[in-house]
Amino acid sequence: MRGRLTFAAGCALVGLVLAVALVSLVWLPYDPADTTGGRLAPPGGAHLLGTDKLGRDLLTQLMAGARTALIAGIGSVLVGGLLGVTGGLLAGFATRWLDDALSAALDIVIAFPTLLLAMLVAAAREASLGSVVLAIGLGMSAIVARLTRVLVKRVLAQDYITAARTSGTSWPRIVAEHVLPNIWPMLLVNLALQLGLAVLAEAALSYLGLGPPPPNASWGRLLQEAQATVLTAPTGAIAPGVLLVVLVVGTNLVADGLRDLADPTRRRSR
Amino acid sequence: MSSKLAGVLAALTLLVAACGSGTGNTPRGGSSAAPGSAATIEVGSLYEPQNLDNIAGGGQGVTEAFNGNVYEGLFRLTDAGKVENLLAESYKVADDGLTYTFKLRQGVRFHSGKALTAADVTNSIERVLAEDSQSARKSNLKVIKSVTAPDDATAVVELSSRSISLVYNLSYVWIVNAAAKDLTTAADGTGPYRLGAWKRGSTLSLAPFSGYWGPRPANGGVVFHYFTEATALNNALLTGAVDIVTSQQSPDALSQFTGNPDYKIGEGHSTTKLLLAFNDRRAPFDKPQVRRAVAAAIDDAKLLESVWAGHGSLIGSMVPPTDPWYEDLTSLDRHDVEQAKRDLAAAGYAQGFRFTLDTPNYDPHPTAATFIKGELAKVGITVDINVITADEWYTKVYKNRDFAATMQEHVNDRDVVWYGDPGFYWGYDDEQVTAWVAEAERAKTTEEQTALLKKANRRIAENAASDWIYLYPQIVVASSALSGYPVNGLNSQFYAYGIKKG
Repeated sequence: MRGRLTFAAGCALVGLVLAVALVSLVWLPYDPADTTGGRLAPPGGAHLLGTDKLGRDLLTQLMAGARTALIAGIGSVLVGGLLGVTGGLLAGFATRWLDDALSAALDIVIAFPTLLLAMLVAAAREASLGSVVLAIGLGMSAIVARLTRVLVKRVLAQDYITAARTSGTSWPRIVAEHVLPNIWPMLLVNLALQLGLAVLAEAALSYLGLGPPPPNASWGRLLQEAQATVLTAPTGAIAPGVLLVVLVVGTNLVADGLRDLADPTRRRSR
Repeated sequence: MSSKLAGVLAALTLLVAACGSGTGNTPRGGSSAAPGSAATIEVGSLYEPQNLDNIAGGGQGVTEAFNGNVYEGLFRLTDAGKVENLLAESYKVADDGLTYTFKLRQGVRFHSGKALTAADVTNSIERVLAEDSQSARKSNLKVIKSVTAPDDATAVVELSSRSISLVYNLSYVWIVNAAAKDLTTAADGTGPYRLGAWKRGSTLSLAPFSGYWGPRPANGGVVFHYFTEATALNNALLTGAVDIVTSQQSPDALSQFTGNPDYKIGEGHSTTKLLLAFNDRRAPFDKPQVRRAVAAAIDDAKLLESVWAGHGSLIGSMVPPTDPWYEDLTSLDRHDVEQAKRDLAAAGYAQGFRFTLDTPNYDPHPTAATFIKGELAKVGITVDINVITADEWYTKVYKNRDFAATMQEHVNDRDVVWYGDPGFYWGYDDEQVTAWVAEAERAKTTEEQTALLKKANRRIAENAASDWIYLYPQIVVASSALSGYPVNGLNSQFYAYGIKKG
């Protein structure tokens, strides 16, 4: 019951941001490049949340920023998930020495802070949304791979796998029919959590000036730009912060809810 | 229970110890220090030196901390922009203008105790001119053919051609002890302060030098506190951790200090100009008409208001009002979108074009670039903003000239002469301007020099060699207990010896 509630609340929060991003594709209050609003206009009639230093409408920037946040989050999860699950499956099935080598490599990548790794990628390529997605995805893939490997090993130790092997089932069929169906709920929960972290990582990179270059709106850069004016025009710093919290809490609740719903032992205990 | 209590106590002790060591690194100023000449002045700055030598890429931070404080030149550029004698007691120029004879001040000692001799002067000038010197002023001193020391109190400089700016340029040349070893981590000058301790990433302290030849400093020492972020710097001023901030970088922080009797806000003259610098070698910016169109399409006044909220001023060319050859040329850079469109069409770009704008990643460049992108879109020009670090800027733009256009702030005074150098990064190649700048340097009188540089300044403005967006304000916020501090900060200098507390 609680799982379902959590899941619904999470979906509502994420859905809200998703809706804002979708609306921003077809309608925005102002042109994002429109600088006619006046310097740091307070929230009110013409500009619901006020304007920034350049006189751009803040609500417009936030709505366009929702797109960036979601693309970065979902894109990173796709990259990280694809690479991670593939790597994890390989390691899980691999012979002893290959497994050891892969595990050691994963440990090294995980020891690198994601942000540092992302900064390296962003510095090597040019700063763009693509670089951000690639960088966060790469950092994430190691974590996903390690989890996948552990899950695969656990499944492979089961008697029904031995049974399937002895009855001559091929490895690809074992992966498709036995391994993946048993590990995907756990993976899904983890990827939902990673989505929230990826959104935060994108904001951090943009804050540092390593995200998509201006004028592409990003919540992280909005925060950075509002830093000097936080006392005179606090909305500029509060609004992107609140949206980040909404999206990240939302994805975390979805992850929590998914875990409760997907785990039969938890379901039975209620 | 008691073991739990002990644990809590231990944790608290650790916490207190941690706090203690934290404040130990940043000595509190203001309230705790004694008033009068013994008080230490706590200075807050965003510009920590890279190293302690201004010919080894020490950056503007080392100029700020050391010029006039630790090191002295033969001459001093005062905060009002005048050049006066310092270690040179007097000097004579030969009739042909090619030989300068400097009489050195007597009784001057280095911090290490050695007396100043003419050999130190020749060595100091030669090290700026040396092959491996990274001094930004090196090219200005290239006219020096030889430096000799006929006796201990006299230095003679021979020039290959007249150089009316020589005396001014020598105000940047530190006179260092010729026997001193590694000056990137230590210092040995003749200034009123000697180097105390430099804690990298945190503070640099200067202590009064008891053997100084001139009047004692008005304070008991100076500590520069380095911050990487303007908000943290202003918070330090609000909490009394620093007494003065050398230059404010955001107008919005000022509201915390206006109307507060504990603080004084001073607005002086700055020489820092924000430039949209074109690569004048490369199409489409090799055409003056295109450059003029871009300049006319950008509403400089609006950007200035956005970034500085009523502070700062517009300039129509490279020369700031504190330079002797200043002239109000703002009428040559009017905001006129229709004119911009006509110019573009006449230059063959009626449909506009697309270019990449290399933008340093620190304020105000990204904001300015965003604004410029919006302005140029109105005349059909598409701007791709490429955000780069200061290091990348130095390599990509300054050294390799691999750019179409770039944003950059130029901090120096009297720097219009760079438009006379076709080899400079922006590659403005105009025989007339090059000739005028060279002639101005060989001028016999400052009037002649002024007239020629005015012509050069007007010509680069007419050709829109770059787009000079605006001149920064120079805003200094200090505790009201402080007096005697520099307000203009020309060329990032910060003379500390006159500052008094209480």
